[in-house]
Amino acid sequence: MSENGYAITTDSLTKRFGRLAALEDVSAHVPRGSIYGLMGPNGAGKTTFVRCLLNLINPTRGSATVLGHDVVRDPVAVRRRVGHVAALQPLWDWMKVREFADFMAGCYPRWNPEPISTILSRVGIGQDAKIQTLSRGQRALTALAVSIGHEPDLLLLDEALTGLDPIARREVLRNIIEAMHAEGRTVFITGQDIADMERICDHVGFLVKGRLILESTLDGLKARVKRIRIEHPADSQPEVPAGAVQVERSARETLLTTRDFSPDLLESLSEPSRRVEALDLSLEDIFVHLAQPELEIRA
Amino acid sequence: MQPVLWYNTGVLVLWYSAMLDSVNPKSAIPIHRQIGDQIRRSVAAGLLEPGDQLPSVRELAARLLVNPNTVAKVYRDLERDGLLETRRGQGTFISPEVAALAEADRRRLLAEQLEAAARDVHAFGLSEKAALDLFREVLANRRRGRQDKQ
Repeated sequence: MSENGYAITTDSLTKRFGRLAALEDVSAHVPRGSIYGLMGPNGAGKTTFVRCLLNLINPTRGSATVLGHDVVRDPVAVRRRVGHVAALQPLWDWMKVREFADFMAGCYPRWNPEPISTILSRVGIGQDAKIQTLSRGQRALTALAVSIGHEPDLLLLDEALTGLDPIARREVLRNIIEAMHAEGRTVFITGQDIADMERICDHVGFLVKGRLILESTLDGLKARVKRIRIEHPADSQPEVPAGAVQVERSARETLLTTRDFSPDLLESLSEPSRRVEALDLSLEDIFVHLAQPELEIRA
Repeated sequence: MQPVLWYNTGVLVLWYSAMLDSVNPKSAIPIHRQIGDQIRRSVAAGLLEPGDQLPSVRELAARLLVNPNTVAKVYRDLERDGLLETRRGQGTFISPEVAALAEADRRRLLAEQLEAAARDVHAFGLSEKAALDLFREVLANRRRGRQDKQ
């Protein structure tokens, strides 16, 4: 176990391209054995973050540690223990699936072809198929299968589900779940489909304009960010409590979204003439409510 | 384990169907509660009986396309509540003492549904007597519908 149980930690990681700040003071913590989803709109800096972890680009400032190795000082050690799948990853079209796997095997000191065969046969991809004959979904599955050949402790999946049809996406999700179940393997996944993230992630981070505005366990986030519905007489409008991020009022009903939910808060809003109830929010609702640059919530 | 019917939001789906997808990530209800309630519901409805084996954490996670840690949490919670038991090296089973619990769960699950209806009764300004009469009528209609089918 390295780094106090974290597979990835970054400290004020910053990357600028000229005047553009692609990442600004990102301090992320990805626990080992978790499925961590980094979400954010296009251009938020998700891919830049992954590229920094793999030392494909150098950070402008700050540091990143992957499985206990500093990514700038020790990039080879990182690459040895990390599997990486990028969005619509270009593969060599003229190779057969088997040749591609063999080629990748040559890049690593340790290689286990078994899980690769298991995935490929489960999803019905022949190892003698030419890569150019594969569909987008099959390519994604091939890239995923081959990415675990060196039995990495961490999988970095950068937009691995983006651009896939629903059936291919489900198949990739299924295989990610199977792949992470190896002892202690961590999955770090970026993407935009919040429903997919809510399915498989236990930790989430929201990246907006290069800043990590939130990092939390999914359960903790859903317990803290809730909507409160208050039915009240027209002359008893409830006061807006601290921590409210949105309020909708009508004559006899107030809906407020809070990022500081607790049973005490519910109690403080209660009055004999009122009916108060707390409602869960979907991750998508939470994201929409919180994706405002000035907000910051910590787990 | 025999294939059992899986009850979800009014739709019966086959538990062992390859296309099974009984978790709705867009719902506001947390996924662990969706899964937990489905198991409770199946036990309450007698679709899962004492001694029935549940799929392994890994199997169920891959089938429902959810995080294995989520399924493990559901199993832990249900085990703590006495609904499930884990037999070392064998797997997870519906507990033999489930019968008494199922009764409590039946009442709880039904109360949750009636709660939503009760809110509408008040919002629509219906009297309690009118609401109860209506519920009796709905029950009677269902009874007739069942008899017609037989």
